[in-house]
Amino acid sequence: MSNRDMSRRSFLQGSVVAGVTVTLIPLSNQAFAALKEESVTMPSEQWLGTNGKARSRNDALSKVCGGKVFARDIRAKDMPGWPEQQGHAMLLKITKADHIYAGMDLSWLGAELQPDRIVTAEDLANDGIAFPQDHGPDPLLPVGQVPMFIGHPVAILIWNDFECFRQAKAKLKFNDKAIRYGAKAELYQTDPYGSFRYVRVGGATSADEDEFASLKDSILFPMLRNRRPVWDSQPDLHGDLTERGLYYAGRIKQQIDAPPDNWLVFDERYKTPSIEPAALEPDNGNGWYDTVSKTLHFVVATQCPLEAATETAKMIAPSRFALNNLKIHPGYTVGYGSKDHNIFVYYAALAALYGAGVPVRLANDRYEQFQSGIKRHPFDIRYQLAVDKTDYSFKIFRAEMSVDGGGRANYSSSVAAVGATAAQSIYYMPQNDLQVTAYHSRGVEAGSMRGYGTLQSMASTEMMVDEIADRLGIDAIVLRKKNAMVSGTKNTQGAIPAGALRLHEILDKAAVHEVWKNRHALKQQREAQDPYHWHGVGFAICQKDFGTGSEAPMASVEFTADGHISLRHIGIEIGTGMSTSQALVVADFLGSPASEVTTGETQWDELQLTTGGNPYTMSQAEQNNFLLDPRWVGKLASASSASNSAYYFSHATREAARVLFNHGLWPAALHIWSQGPYGGQANPYVVRREDANWVDGQLTANGMQPLSFAQLAKHAHDLGLITGATVHGFNRWSWAESEFEIGKTRVRLPLDGLAVKYGDGAASEKQAQMNSAGFHLLDRKTVHYPDVQLNNAAVTYYSPVATLVEVKVNKGTGEVQVLNHHSWIECGRVLVEELVKGQLEGGVAMGIGHALMEEMPLYEGGPGEGDWNFNRYRLPMARHVAVWKQTSEILPPLSRSDPAKGIAEVVMIPVVGAIGNAVAHAIGKRVRDLPLTSTRIKEALNG
Amino acid sequence: MANRSLQLTLNGNAAEPVDIPDDLLMIDYLHEYKNLTGSRLGCGQGICHACVVIVDNPDGTSEEVRTCITGAHYFAGKRVRTIEGHATRDDEGKVTQLNPIQQRFVDEFAFQCSYCAPGFVNAATVLVEKLQRQPVAKSQLEKVVEDSLGHHICRCTGYVRYFSATRNVLTELGLVREG
Repeated sequence: MSNRDMSRRSFLQGSVVAGVTVTLIPLSNQAFAALKEESVTMPSEQWLGTNGKARSRNDALSKVCGGKVFARDIRAKDMPGWPEQQGHAMLLKITKADHIYAGMDLSWLGAELQPDRIVTAEDLANDGIAFPQDHGPDPLLPVGQVPMFIGHPVAILIWNDFECFRQAKAKLKFNDKAIRYGAKAELYQTDPYGSFRYVRVGGATSADEDEFASLKDSILFPMLRNRRPVWDSQPDLHGDLTERGLYYAGRIKQQIDAPPDNWLVFDERYKTPSIEPAALEPDNGNGWYDTVSKTLHFVVATQCPLEAATETAKMIAPSRFALNNLKIHPGYTVGYGSKDHNIFVYYAALAALYGAGVPVRLANDRYEQFQSGIKRHPFDIRYQLAVDKTDYSFKIFRAEMSVDGGGRANYSSSVAAVGATAAQSIYYMPQNDLQVTAYHSRGVEAGSMRGYGTLQSMASTEMMVDEIADRLGIDAIVLRKKNAMVSGTKNTQGAIPAGALRLHEILDKAAVHEVWKNRHALKQQREAQDPYHWHGVGFAICQKDFGTGSEAPMASVEFTADGHISLRHIGIEIGTGMSTSQALVVADFLGSPASEVTTGETQWDELQLTTGGNPYTMSQAEQNNFLLDPRWVGKLASASSASNSAYYFSHATREAARVLFNHGLWPAALHIWSQGPYGGQANPYVVRREDANWVDGQLTANGMQPLSFAQLAKHAHDLGLITGATVHGFNRWSWAESEFEIGKTRVRLPLDGLAVKYGDGAASEKQAQMNSAGFHLLDRKTVHYPDVQLNNAAVTYYSPVATLVEVKVNKGTGEVQVLNHHSWIECGRVLVEELVKGQLEGGVAMGIGHALMEEMPLYEGGPGEGDWNFNRYRLPMARHVAVWKQTSEILPPLSRSDPAKGIAEVVMIPVVGAIGNAVAHAIGKRVRDLPLTSTRIKEALNG
Repeated sequence: MANRSLQLTLNGNAAEPVDIPDDLLMIDYLHEYKNLTGSRLGCGQGICHACVVIVDNPDGTSEEVRTCITGAHYFAGKRVRTIEGHATRDDEGKVTQLNPIQQRFVDEFAFQCSYCAPGFVNAATVLVEKLQRQPVAKSQLEKVVEDSLGHHICRCTGYVRYFSATRNVLTELGLVREG
């Protein structure tokens, strides 16, 4: 299941969580008032070109001037109403995982540098702190226990002033003296975080009914015994779902173990490294607990502000602190997934809570970020692929994957599942058995990082397919074309991907690219010119899911009588440009983009939503029962993650704008066009809404007089039509749909929550209906939710990218240099081309790092010990990425109605496989463990 | 730790003298004493260059200096420009004009999260000022950009737009000669 919170249960009614009033205030509205800047974003006239396209990002000005954009930039003095004194905190951590923690000793710091407060596990227990279960147990290690992992925090140390903090931290850094170690002990152990098996046996063709598949039947779940997955059930064709699944899995294994003569069975292992996301803004938070009003004011860097707010409130509510209010301010941030579902938020909130009235800032430096920041999971993969040597068709795909989740449960379970369900890359697999288990280890916590398991599995698949082509003696793109999915074919779960698959278009383009066509001649030519290097060309392609299988976007669009359009959105800006692209999406229906954008908005009182149950694991009956409550939604709000802005965030923005058009602007236009005797200018013609067009910012249809947005906005307000809409959507690989009554019209919309505002001239009874935080909350008349069985689809939305790479390998050192690369990307409708290309360029660079240079020891000697930084961890620099030579091509959409597809993760994946294949082409040997360091290359050459 | 008074010129104005510890790093002075947080802490090792400021030398040259590894007292008496000081602002503090590098970075969508942007702006600004004294030959244009920006780390963008924007602005400003 492509599920980001498989084990989580969350609830939030209105804006009161566990008795605490939660208010989320975008940082821009608060801190910037104090700094004499109105907002991080500019009004649209400053960033919108006359052609209706973005001339720049709408947050560009603040960002390029070093404005206080990040939560990390905020100090107490920036926040209105806060005391000016700024306290500072750090986490004290234990770095030997094989010893009992016997307490701490800070006496050697001297009296002057003693922390003003020390928070330990004992304090949390005594004070009734209910730390979020998802991040437990033992956020602070109690005395007498063995650490769960290297770098387990034991205390929060708080100083009231910067100088004492700075000097004390300098002494504590790289110094184990503060930790008293007890006896040597067995390493901490716990059960695997999750284990899954996806078995499918298709019919004669993809279109025929599957004999067994996850979607049609079930995912298989093992028992966990002695820290390992075991299968207690016996294979039985006529048994229960698990027994049937095991029967088919057994049949698959028998076939691949005793293949017919015309099969080639590939069987190799791949290993991928632990990766530091290296978001340049390290984790941080800054909070002030006002002991008088019992209010926690909290500035925090997070990709999931609502989750952070909800869990923080629940954590503190039962404690002695008697929290009444939580005011949380999410800043613009960056994380590549590492600030999603991050335990650091709660340490920072606790530091503030224990500040004794002094604002406290907890902000990692880079060493601390390496030590405890969320990592990309290392995978250990065994792939088996059976191929018919006569027609080159893939027959059976088996995978056994082991995933190291580090020392604390995060999203390891779902990362493992998503990695397994992506393993097929772009290929149709008639039969598959994909097993994956995510394990605990004493390494640093791994979680949601860009790729979410798919980079690990798909890059390996792409190296496998290339190697198989070599073994078969055929062109690797020909082999790919032979097996690439086409529109309507099933994935390894038995689900049919959304819309058209344009993989063959991309493969056709790659096949005729000069570098690919001439790769062998190029190699000869370059090596003749440069005898000190081997030259190679490699290609890879993949398609990656976007979304989580439980997406819940929210947006609100309003316009004033003078034509000012504002957009509020649940999404947080993490660098991808969503605040710009969402502002533009509004123009689809309103003719002009939003001139004011508020991101990270989670104050949606007008919808009065409730939620409960787990959208991934609830039964159909449970869901049906929940739906009896017209306010219930499957999930309250999405994080900014999983490449979800272009499609899912746009869905909410578009649907809100569509409601405004259909029930505000269009009737206003008709009213204007129909003025005069016999229906005015509209009467002689047939005027249809489907013929409506915005031309140069003016609305026309069927030859009607063009009307400006300002004109229509005023008229819509005068008539009391709909001028504001707040929407909520839910997607489980398909959108929830509801019927609402808007005026006297019943409409079916791909939404499960809708509230509207009427214009200034609305009749008094309509005004009276706007009693839900200023909106008229509309009841769902009917609702249709995606069946819970769709959870087993695991993924249905894909975006494809392919990359062709040229490399050279130094014959002496084994060092690899990327000379050039070209990528093809298909992302449906392009919202802002520069943002798409920027994502691609950045993703390719990150992929190059993964392929060639980034790795760390997992345990002892690794980042958990607190002494890792960029001097030891090599990040790709401009000289590594072919900065001047790289090129790319975005496939044009099939039509203007194509949806925009998420691409933030997929862009970095094919380059990894392509480099692996290019190195193999260069040196004539396969290296299956990443990164492809000079050491591994020399080992391959000599082995 | 002994304290000493620090006096310097920050963004064209004499900064109010302040007693600060001998070992205080410049980045901490900027962040915690001056509330100028645009120079960003990336690594604390002088590797990523997100923290660089510009020092204007008496001879009219300018240079990048890494504030995460340089003591604040090193800057005593010096003229320092931070990212906050490049744009022209009106009386209310609103930006009325960006410097050419900033403008080009904005126009070419050069940054994403922008954490590293101040470092790139400063490095490219120093390059502009260097080439204003001695333009670069066209054949050396890309190399001079590489040499000037190549030590800065960006995790979001892949560097492409920072580099091309800098190349383009140098050409636009007439700092590239034939050859």
